[in-house]
Amino acid sequence: MAPLQLGVLLAAAGSLTALVLEFRGAKAFGTRRLFAPPAGDAVAGARYAFTKGMAPQAKESVRMNPLSYLAGVLYHGGVFAAFALLGLRLGNFHRPKALAALALVGALGGFALFGKRLLKAHLRGLSSPDDFVSNILATAFATLAGAVTLRQGLESAWLMVAIALLVYMPIGKIRHCVFFFSTRYHSGAFFGRRGVFPPATNRPERG
Amino acid sequence: MSILEFNGKQLELNEEGFLVNPSIWTEELALVLARQEESLDQLSEDHWAVIRFIRAHFLENQAAPMVRSICKSTGIPLKRIYELFASGPAKGACKLAGLPKPDGCV
Amino acid sequence: MPEFDELEARLAALTEADFACGLEVFRGKLTAADASYLNTCVHCGLCAESCHYFRMDPELENIPAAKLKKIAMVFKREYTTVGRFAPGLVGAKAMDTDMARAWVDAVFGRCSLCGRCSMNCTVGIALPRLFRAARAALGAMGLVPSDLQATVDTALQHGNNMAISKTDWVETVQWIEEELQLETGDPEARLPLDRQGAKILFTVNPREPKFFPLSLQASAKVFWAAKEDWTLTADNGWDLTNYGLFNCNDQEAGALTQNLVDAMVRLGCETLVIGECGHGYASARWEGPEWLQQEYPFKVKSILELMDEYLREGRIKVDPAKNPKPVTLHDPCNLVRHGGICEAQRRVLQASAAHFIEMTPNREHNFCCGGGGGQLAMGRYKGRRLQSGGMKAQQIRDTAAEVVVTPCHNCVDQLMELNKEYKLKVQIKTVAEVVADALVS
Ligand code: SF4
Ligand code: SF4
Repeated sequence: MAPLQLGVLLAAAGSLTALVLEFRGAKAFGTRRLFAPPAGDAVAGARYAFTKGMAPQAKESVRMNPLSYLAGVLYHGGVFAAFALLGLRLGNFHRPKALAALALVGALGGFALFGKRLLKAHLRGLSSPDDFVSNILATAFATLAGAVTLRQGLESAWLMVAIALLVYMPIGKIRHCVFFFSTRYHSGAFFGRRGVFPPATNRPERG
Repeated sequence: MSILEFNGKQLELNEEGFLVNPSIWTEELALVLARQEESLDQLSEDHWAVIRFIRAHFLENQAAPMVRSICKSTGIPLKRIYELFASGPAKGACKLAGLPKPDGCV
Repeated sequence: MPEFDELEARLAALTEADFACGLEVFRGKLTAADASYLNTCVHCGLCAESCHYFRMDPELENIPAAKLKKIAMVFKREYTTVGRFAPGLVGAKAMDTDMARAWVDAVFGRCSLCGRCSMNCTVGIALPRLFRAARAALGAMGLVPSDLQATVDTALQHGNNMAISKTDWVETVQWIEEELQLETGDPEARLPLDRQGAKILFTVNPREPKFFPLSLQASAKVFWAAKEDWTLTADNGWDLTNYGLFNCNDQEAGALTQNLVDAMVRLGCETLVIGECGHGYASARWEGPEWLQQEYPFKVKSILELMDEYLREGRIKVDPAKNPKPVTLHDPCNLVRHGGICEAQRRVLQASAAHFIEMTPNREHNFCCGGGGGQLAMGRYKGRRLQSGGMKAQQIRDTAAEVVVTPCHNCVDQLMELNKEYKLKVQIKTVAEVVADALVS
């Protein structure tokens, strides 16, 4: 196996280990036994949080920022597609052009969000260097994944960016790839237990 | 904190419009506060009865009276108190009587 | 300004030992959920508009994530590897005087702990838990705003947060009983005190006996109509408020909850009924058992659930025509979004008022009135409180309602101020007041 491909595999293994360690570290903060009797179902609340609770009709923040939402969805789709392409490449499988297109469109979303972060004062104020580094790596990774698949060349650049991205993942905010799940679970369960999620059905539209 | 100009003097009001130093209160000052805080241009006899009672109670007990004592002592029915002071007994009447802001949800 | 000088003086006096103490309390508050939250924010900024502070004053500091970031900075510095080795990269920072000042401004000065941001966070962070952990840490450093702390201290010392004496409380209850007898024409109408073994112990907000007893009278009238077996307690345990929820000192909060538990045990009642108060309900129903680390030997209900039951079971009858003016409803954050009582108040109002109009948004998506989180007790932030309440003022205006009903005395107070500030010209009532007016035999 070529050294770069080996590097990718090693980086992936290291990244995964580090992410698991970080995740376990956070989990070690522990849960508390709760004494107040529940009013609703924590599991149902969590289920809602991962489904309808994420939909635009449940979130004003999405309705008020439709373009950012769209860019975000595309971006995530693009990065997932790029990872799929990377897996296919390592296994020497055929790489569908559709995936490449998805990665490129996603990269556009990444560019757009990068621009937004750079240009909007509020967002700049909210950002740490990490926010820019994470975006650059993931966007470059998706861009190159698409480009390399559609036309030959640049392969080693892609693999090097992949290694950098994998190494960086547990360091910066891309760690949300694992923490997203525990976060949404915990808050969904909290509101589920209190009988807020899922909201009662058959009630008038909630604006 | 804001400053109320009164008789050439500058009086300190806290953020909520209550007198910082309750001891400097005078009846003239109550009129100024009434205009500024409650948009009342004049104070009726009923207003004065309530304000004077609250003031006397405060000087004696360092606390605002219960609305029950206000009603019993002045003979003014409860509902009328809320008509007299739109902001209610605490943020209305007590403020005009120069009391500090009471603790709690008021 | 003395208030700020006082804060500055306290900040200047902070020692390393104070910071360590604050961090220890902070750490003690954090669970796996919190650690996950603090690791997840992606700084997307989409939560900005969910906050009424930001809506009314679009400054960076008012974005929920900006408030969260100040807390995450310290968390990362203390508890993450990257934060220790590359603090600049991920914005990690140690707790120091400037950070403590920034925390105070963020979590006391710009947040009512309403949780509306939780509903809108892209990744699903429930932010107020972390704001509360930060408040607790600040408390350990002696940085709770003095007037907020005074409200807690008064309650700890006197058993209620307005230092009402037992005589004053009992005399007011008797006076309201006379008023109720006059109103109903029933000489048997009662506000029972210390009735041993009554089914229900009813609790109130001290501002009712002190300044606004008509709401107590209204609740009593509903109980009278439903022929409820209820009581009030003459001794400590009648005050349902708990500002320990806001200074976030669990020990003090627990001591205040204990007053309620003791009264329930003393009188042997079955159900503790919390009058119309958002934070009081959340404290007694949800947080109290955690503060005390015990299960209650009794049930806790909101009076809203009770009124809803009375109507459903036909124990009371109402005629909506008696409340002809258009009515809207403000949802208290601690009762609805954090309390889980979403529908009872709607059914009750639908039945008791001729013309009920929902605000938009409502229920768990509702905007805070601006008076939550102890804001009403913190004079130094009054300007921001009234400004952020502009969101609620606008919502109210959009309904064109003439009466704003809210099951919370804290909210009533803020709404009264908004009414004046924004010239809304509305009437503000509690739910029981509306029901009491609509009662028919
Ligand atoms: S809890 Fe409420 S006040 Fe606090 S940041 Fe979130 S939305 Fe704003
Ligand atoms: S929406 Fe959530 S993830 Fe995005 S900035 Fe706000 S708190 Fe952070």
